[in-house]
Amino acid sequence: MPYTADISRANPACFLFLLDQSGSMQQALAGQPGQRKMDQAADAINRILDTVAQRCSQGMDIRDYFVIGVIGYNTDGTGRPVISSGLQGTSPEQPFLPISQVVDVAEVVERQVKESDGAGGLLDATRRFPVWLHPRAEYGTPMCQAFDTAFRALEDWIARYPDSFPPIIINVSDGAASDGNPERQAQELMNLQTNDGNVLLFNVHLSEVAAAPVQYPDNVGLLPQNDEYAAQMFRMSSSLPESSRNQAQILDLPVSENSKGYVFNADMTALVQFLDIGTRAASNLQ
Amino acid sequence: MGLQPPRRFGTAKAGNRPDECEDASWISYPYNGGPARIALGDGASESAFARDWAQILTRAFVYGLPDLSDLDSDALAVWLSHGIEAWNRAVPWERIPWHGEAKTRAGALATLLGMTVNQMPNRSGTYPWQAMAVGDCCLFVVRDDALVLSFPLEQAGQFDNAPPLICSNPANNAGLWPKVRQLNGEFLPGDLILLASDALACWILQQRESGCRPWETLLSLRSNEEWSDWVQAQRGQRVMRNDDTTLVAIKVE
Repeated sequence: MPYTADISRANPACFLFLLDQSGSMQQALAGQPGQRKMDQAADAINRILDTVAQRCSQGMDIRDYFVIGVIGYNTDGTGRPVISSGLQGTSPEQPFLPISQVVDVAEVVERQVKESDGAGGLLDATRRFPVWLHPRAEYGTPMCQAFDTAFRALEDWIARYPDSFPPIIINVSDGAASDGNPERQAQELMNLQTNDGNVLLFNVHLSEVAAAPVQYPDNVGLLPQNDEYAAQMFRMSSSLPESSRNQAQILDLPVSENSKGYVFNADMTALVQFLDIGTRAASNLQ
Repeated sequence: MGLQPPRRFGTAKAGNRPDECEDASWISYPYNGGPARIALGDGASESAFARDWAQILTRAFVYGLPDLSDLDSDALAVWLSHGIEAWNRAVPWERIPWHGEAKTRAGALATLLGMTVNQMPNRSGTYPWQAMAVGDCCLFVVRDDALVLSFPLEQAGQFDNAPPLICSNPANNAGLWPKVRQLNGEFLPGDLILLASDALACWILQQRESGCRPWETLLSLRSNEEWSDWVQAQRGQRVMRNDDTTLVAIKVE
């Protein structure tokens, strides 16, 4: 049965985040004035990396159950693709770091927070938060190029770990590729496979089209008709494996066997939840 | 006559170092002839400092738990508070990296199986025992070549990834008392007592459900090396989950 491989330090799972950093990401997310898409996207990825690190933490030590890559994509002023790696010390061609090194390249900031005192009140506390990505948004959206780069990186990774849980790619974008229709490249990514199943491609679609959020749709009819990219992003998304569906059901989210790893115009809570459900597809930690 | 010395075997999850094993066991046969105490615990890998917590809990059971016949919610909370203090002293709070901070504050988690048993028979020739369990470490009793007791779980299908756990953060133990299982009874001369952490306990029940006598296999293992090789082979055949695996076996003569 696919998507059941044990995840261990000898056989880690791979998460690759693709982040649209094009100029249109400066716009506000529909229905959330003042919330720029680029801020939401960077914040959500920082939070999920934090969550993944905490899942691997044993307190003092951290176990390398996961390797992580972050690839940003936009163009320069001349339209030339700029594919960059989001983790210090990596390159777009070799974007991955084991989680024990991912935590080392975080910028750690302290913030004052309110926390429950366990007796119905709130306490002021100083907590540390890791930051890897800062918001950035300029020029075009070379999604095809980004998928090609991801393909090459994952081909190498799969050759090294052929029995691993299949890599999970989470692409965060407003959907409007400026270098052509990315469906062929998306399909090529989803055709990559380990002995435990095909690569999973999940999409977070941050649209400025005013339409109700849609999470984990199982048919294209549920998508807003007034966003020309929604159906395309839906087609470019893998179905949720059973482990992700189970996680969604625990959270009382309506999912079916055909639900796709796709979310349209999620607010911050739903967005972080989506990333959590997506990455918890790989949950069989050993 | 009497309780025989325990045999104890343990091996870490494949892929982990021996010092990462989160199973813990403590055994005490007091020189004064008082009841023997045996404890087996399993730290939950998803929590921080779980190995320390399992060690502290099992040691505290053997050296500090009040009489099991008087155990109630308050007595359990008082006893646990000593363990929680010990765990807090063991955690290097000032040096915890950011990724371990929230998890450590939430507390470590572990299962616990504890048993007290008379070292010598009473006048009727039996060995009174008492046991408590939180979670899925199991006590088995083999008598006349048959499994006559399985506690607290009785079927292989009852094992899942969410056993009841004891937390080193008291705020997370609010619903603990109803999850504490207690049982007592009497061992007879000739009985074989087995305490097993969850992967092995599940295997024992699966074997029994298939009509086999798993205790024969376990008794045939003579050294920890033989034990580790055997566990590895069961994992390879996918009949035993890859997990820290511990056995304590005691014969009653």
